[in-house]
Amino acid sequence: MASPPTLYAEDPAWQDVVPVPQYEGVTPLAPIFYTPEYKDATDYFRGILKSGETSERVLELTERIIKMNPAHYTAWCYRYKTLIALGSNLEDELRLTDVYCFKYLKTYQVWHHRRLLLQEELDFIARCLGADTKNYHTWSYRQWLLAYFNHPQLWKGEVRWVERMLSDDVRNNSAWHHRFFVVFAAGQGEQGPEVIRREIAYAKQKISLAPNNASAWNYLRGVLDHARVPYSTLTAFVEPYTLEHDKEGEASEDVVDLEDPPPAKGAELPCALAIEFLADVHEGEGQEGVRRAVELWKSLANEYDTIRKKYWEYRIREALATQN
Amino acid sequence: MPTYRPTPTDSFPTDTSVLQRETEETLSKHIPSPEYPAQPLHRNAHLQWLVRNLVQGFPARYTSQDASQSWLMFWTLQSLSTLQAGLDPGNKQKAINTIMSWQHPDGGFGGGPGQAPHLLATYASVCALANVGQPGPRGGWDQIDREKMYRFFMSVKQPDGSFTVMHHGEVDVRGIYCLLVVATLLDLLTPELVAGTPAFLASCQTCEGGFSSSSQPYFSSSGDLLSSPRPPLGEAHGGYTFCALASWVLLRSFQPPPAGVDINVKRLLRWLVMMQGSEIELGGFRGRTNKLVDGCYSWWVGGAFALLEMLGVPAPGKGETPAAHDGGDNEWDDVDDALFNRRALQEYILYAGQHPTGGLRDKPPKISDAYHTLGCLSGLASAQHYVVPSSTRREETTLLWESNADLSFDEQRKNAFADALSWVEEEGASRYVGGSADRVNAMHPVFNLTMTHADAMMGYFYNQTVLPRLRRNV
Ligand SMILES: [Zn+2]
Repeated sequence: MASPPTLYAEDPAWQDVVPVPQYEGVTPLAPIFYTPEYKDATDYFRGILKSGETSERVLELTERIIKMNPAHYTAWCYRYKTLIALGSNLEDELRLTDVYCFKYLKTYQVWHHRRLLLQEELDFIARCLGADTKNYHTWSYRQWLLAYFNHPQLWKGEVRWVERMLSDDVRNNSAWHHRFFVVFAAGQGEQGPEVIRREIAYAKQKISLAPNNASAWNYLRGVLDHARVPYSTLTAFVEPYTLEHDKEGEASEDVVDLEDPPPAKGAELPCALAIEFLADVHEGEGQEGVRRAVELWKSLANEYDTIRKKYWEYRIREALATQN
Repeated sequence: MPTYRPTPTDSFPTDTSVLQRETEETLSKHIPSPEYPAQPLHRNAHLQWLVRNLVQGFPARYTSQDASQSWLMFWTLQSLSTLQAGLDPGNKQKAINTIMSWQHPDGGFGGGPGQAPHLLATYASVCALANVGQPGPRGGWDQIDREKMYRFFMSVKQPDGSFTVMHHGEVDVRGIYCLLVVATLLDLLTPELVAGTPAFLASCQTCEGGFSSSSQPYFSSSGDLLSSPRPPLGEAHGGYTFCALASWVLLRSFQPPPAGVDINVKRLLRWLVMMQGSEIELGGFRGRTNKLVDGCYSWWVGGAFALLEMLGVPAPGKGETPAAHDGGDNEWDDVDDALFNRRALQEYILYAGQHPTGGLRDKPPKISDAYHTLGCLSGLASAQHYVVPSSTRREETTLLWESNADLSFDEQRKNAFADALSWVEEEGASRYVGGSADRVNAMHPVFNLTMTHADAMMGYFYNQTVLPRLRRNV
């Protein structure tokens, strides 16, 4: 592209725009003596603001103003609106603003502009995931975006957003993984005992809704392993899931244990994943525990999870061998 | 006809459980019954389908794979080899010429003529050449520019020990697997090439135990790579898990991982076994938690169990000894150490994976394609045969090793070579659901090549003696 004419006032491509001077009928106090280029561009920019035009040439105009004055927040803001209106490639825009960020590291506007772009990108990803809830590329792209730009403002809404994804489909493993990524793996935010308690409670609550959901159990195990919390601390919670439903439903009606939510009415019990969990608890208890674990593994091998018979038999062999 | 329990939905349906239930209904129609007798391997239909693609070319719907011509070639040639078939000399030469036209002047191979060099295309091309090539002026092997290929590999290396799949490409463990296989086959491994790679692989293991596509590095203000956080991007996935585990096995053979860098094998094993679908899904494998079973994971996940053997899982000799006979028809003793249900996986592939008009597939009612054909056939191989690293074969190989005193890392080369060629089919441990007429060739568990092709190629490029193998019934 040939270099554009210096002034918009002399550019035939802009003759349809009516420039708007900064002050009309006012003699300003303490005026700034702008360069002719800056005055020309901002006059035309005000003309554009008035007409509300969003087009490619507006991008060119705002870029020219920003080059002359990166703190011109109205130019940034209008540029952002134009980008969205045009459905422009936001990555290109990021690359473009890379240059400005570097040049104008201390300018608030340039960073804010990027943040808006990224926020827009997160919204865009969310829309994509609405259409294809388990798309691997989309999820890992979202994680990359968060980790790479690593801005508190970006991370802020993630837990709440992924919670919505999980209430849409509690079996969406991609969303569970994302939760782990946000809360633990990326090293963001606080990770104190409060967060661990919160996440364990969250997993328990989701397990109680639909106990035969491997994603929720895997998340629970992931949290416990990550935080080095012994599985045995969950024995009371897990046990009811390893048994048939209470025929009479005694007591459980009125006393709802918030710490250890019981299996929902419609749950199909006993739940193989709970049996496996309980066996892991018992395995760590020594001799008597191993005996109980072996019984549980046998029930998995022969009744509740027969496809994995070889694996459960392997667990039995291993547990007995390490005991001797 | 047996009826199997559907996956429990806990009276709490969601999109996932609805789709799962629909799939189970479709799949359960393929469970053999008096009206639908058990299917044998339709070897001839598959051979014809493969040869038709090779000789007449692929239909227009494969246009989307224009940048993957090297894959189409590899999938097809390797499927033929798995089915114990090969090409005549004329077609072999045509294949070699085609593959060589994908080599890039700057090293590495592209997905087609004039396409940029790419790690995945390089793996596919080199492994296709393992099938059809040979030493000599027009044999392909000597026309691989190894020096330029090594430079290409180094040029895509990243500061976190990973590699981008091409210049300006993405990082993922498939690319690393492809690079390491080629480097191992062609004797291109160096400590410099693989520095930092074990730690990168380990960082891709997720909280579930399987591996993700890649991880995000962070650097200190002075530019040093931080060991934490290094979060995996994406959830545990069958394809990435195979690639990461196979890469880990290759690297470990070349040199032990640095202190403090390790993977959690116990959690990995749990994740792998959990990927096997239940009886109502005919025991096929899925690629992620709460996703559907799919024929290609027969290899990515089913094939990964053999790799664990190299990491000592299951510990050798823990199980009972295999019976002395070679799995007579319809006879099935579960006497091996395999940790997944080999019988069920064969059933999935034979009953649901085969398309009636040839080729294999993801699942019914889908059509067959080149990728799923190899995935299913390799998976069938891993379910039929019990492949293990033989310490005897390894020792004998190292005794014959001719060292190169000029190389500071000759010992590492020797270990990579000896480990890679130590894989054997365990005697008497092969099992065939439909009888031994369904036998396919055993796969090299790391390379996804037929054992003899891996032997020949490595023997040539390392200029070392390879122990002969017992001729198996063909
Ligand atoms: Zn597939």
